[in-house]
Amino acid sequence: MIVAEDLHRSFKRPGGRAFRLPFGKSDAKADSRVVAVNSVSFTADDGRITGLLGPNGAGKSTTLRMLATLIRPERGSASVDGHDVTRDVLAVRQHLGFMPHNAGIYPRLSARENIHYYARLCGLDKQQAEQRVGQLIEQLDMKGFADRRATGFSQGQKTKVALARALAHQPQTIMLDEPTNGLDVMATRGLREIIRQLAADGHCIVFSSHIMQEVAALCDHIAIISDGSIAMQDSLAGILERTGENDLEDAFVKATLSLQPETDR
Amino acid sequence: MSLFIVMFKEIVDNLRDRQTVFYALLFGPILLPLLLGGSLVASFKQLSIDFDEVTSLSVLHAERAPRLMEFLHGHNIDVTEAPENVQASVRRGDVLVVLEIPEDFADQLRAGRPAPLTLHVNSADKESGKAARRVQAILSVYERTLNNLRLQHRGIDPSTFDSLNLVENDVSSDGSSGQLLASILPFLFIMSMVMGGFYLAIDTTAGERERQSLEPLLSLPLKRSAVVFGKYGATLCFVTLSGVLTAVSIYTLFRLFPIELMGGQIRFDGRTLVRAFLLASPLLPFISALLITVSAVTRSTKEAQTYLGLMMMVPMAPFFLLQFLSIRSTTMSMPIPMLSQYQLLESAVLGDSIPILHILLSAGGTLAATALLLTLASRLYQRERLLD
Repeated sequence: MIVAEDLHRSFKRPGGRAFRLPFGKSDAKADSRVVAVNSVSFTADDGRITGLLGPNGAGKSTTLRMLATLIRPERGSASVDGHDVTRDVLAVRQHLGFMPHNAGIYPRLSARENIHYYARLCGLDKQQAEQRVGQLIEQLDMKGFADRRATGFSQGQKTKVALARALAHQPQTIMLDEPTNGLDVMATRGLREIIRQLAADGHCIVFSSHIMQEVAALCDHIAIISDGSIAMQDSLAGILERTGENDLEDAFVKATLSLQPETDR
Repeated sequence: MSLFIVMFKEIVDNLRDRQTVFYALLFGPILLPLLLGGSLVASFKQLSIDFDEVTSLSVLHAERAPRLMEFLHGHNIDVTEAPENVQASVRRGDVLVVLEIPEDFADQLRAGRPAPLTLHVNSADKESGKAARRVQAILSVYERTLNNLRLQHRGIDPSTFDSLNLVENDVSSDGSSGQLLASILPFLFIMSMVMGGFYLAIDTTAGERERQSLEPLLSLPLKRSAVVFGKYGATLCFVTLSGVLTAVSIYTLFRLFPIELMGGQIRFDGRTLVRAFLLASPLLPFISALLITVSAVTRSTKEAQTYLGLMMMVPMAPFFLLQFLSIRSTTMSMPIPMLSQYQLLESAVLGDSIPILHILLSAGGTLAATALLLTLASRLYQRERLLD
C-alpha cells in the first residue's frame, strides 16, 4: 500500500553546467527551478491496480522515483507499506518492486542471470534465488528465452525480464512506470494479464501511463496527474460520473482543464 | 555480501565483453611489452657490436696493403673480394661496406705521409652503418699502432702526444639504453594497469547509466556503497590481473634475450621483477579508484572515454617529466602517486637500494589518495543527479 501526501519536488533548470561536484551548496533561487511535482497526494491500496495517468512531463516518473526512494521529496511525505520513504529507505526498497521507465537489462547476461542477480542483491541466498528465478520464469512464461543472452531480445522479452527482476524479492507493492511502452498488442495483453494476476494475489500495483485505453482497460483506481498535481482521483466510473463524460479521454481533458487556471498563471 | 554479488556479476559480465578482455588480457600484458620492450631489445642488438664475432669485409685491391689485411684477419675479419661495381652494390645492400685501398696507399705510408683509405658506406642503412663503425674502430687501433711506430722511429716518446689520458668509463650506447629500459618498465606496468581496468570501469558506471539499468539497481534494498565498492572491486580485479600478466610477460620477454646486451646494468631475474611489482602494487587500488571516480561523473560511455582518455595523461606525465627533467627521488616526491612509483621502479630495475622511508611514503601517499578518491566516488553515487 502506498500513501502519498502533498509531495513536492523541483529541479534545477536544465542546460546549466554539465556537472557539479557534490560539495557545493545548492544556492539556486526558487525561480531558477522547474517544479516537476507540486502537491501530489494519492493512495494505492493492496489488491488493486492504481493507474497514474498523465501526459508526458506531468510528473509521473518523478513521483514514482520519490516513492522508490531514488530522490527525496522537498515537501510532503509518503509511505510504502507503512515505511516512510525518507527515513526508512531500505525497508521501503525491501517492500517495493520498481520497474522504471525504459529499464535496461544487462545485454551480456541471460534472462535467467539478469533476474538471479537482482534476487541475490535483494538478500536471497543462492538456492532461494535459483528457486525464485525458476518460479518467475514459469509465471511470466519466459522459458523460451530464459537462457539466451539478452542482446537480441525483443521489447516484449526485455520488459518481461525487467518485470521479473522487479518481482525477484516478492515485494508486496509493485510500481511500473510506463511498462507497455514499445510493446505490441499481444505483448501488451500478456503483460496486462500478469498485472491483473498480481493484483488478484493481493499486491498493491501502481501503473503509470499516458495512454487512456491502457489505464481504462486495466486500472481499478485512477489518479489523473497534470502539471505536477493530482487533478482528480477515483474509480473509472467515478471519474466519468464526476466529469459528466462517457469516455476517459474527454474526462481527462476536462479534469486537467479544471486545473489549468490555478497553475498556469 | 551485496558488494561481492555486484563485484562477481561485473566480472562475469565483462569477461563476456571482447573489448574489455582484449584491453585487460592482451593489450597491456602482451602487445605493449612486445611493442616497447621488443623494439628496445632489437635496438640493442643493432647498436651493440660484438668484436669477437667473425665477419667478412669486402676489400677492393687488397693486394696493395698485405700488412693491413693481416691485421684485419687478426681482428676476426675475413677479407673477401670486392664486387664489380662497388658504389652500386653498397647502395643496393649486396655488401654492407667496402674498403677501397687506393694505388698510392703503400707509397704514402712508406713516405710517412697520411695514407689514403676509402670506406664505402650507405649511411641510410643501419646495418651498413654498424659494419662501418666496426671497421673504423679496428682501423683506428691500426692507425694508433702505426703512429707509435713512426714516432718511435724518429726517437720521440709516443706519450708526448697524449697530453690527456682520458679514461672513458662505460658511456656506451648500452648504458644509456639500460637507463631507458629502466624508465620504460614503470611506464609499461602503469599503462597496462590503466588499460586493464579502463573498459570495465566505463562499462560498470557510465555504461550502466547509458543502458538505463542503474535506476532499477539503485532502487533495490541495498546500500549504494555496496554498489560503488562492488564495481570498484571488479575494476581492481581486472587492474591486478592486467598488472600481474604484464609482469609475467615482461619476465618472459627478457628471458628470451641475452642479459649482456643490456650492458650488465639490468638484471631481469624474477626477484627484481617481484620487487618492482610490489613497489608498484599500491597503484593497483589507486588506479582502480581513479578510473571508477572519473567515469562515475560521466553520463555515457562516450563521455567516459573522453574524460578517461584525457586522464591517460596522468600516468604518462611522470614518464615524460622524468625523461626530460631529471627529478631526483626525494622524500618530497615520494608521497605523489605515479611519480613516486616511476622513481622507485626505476631504482629497482637499476638495482639501486631504496630507503625504507621512501617505500613507506610512496605506499602511504598512494593509499591516502585512493581513500580520497573512493570517498569522492561514494559521494558521487549518492547524488540524485546520477539518474539524469
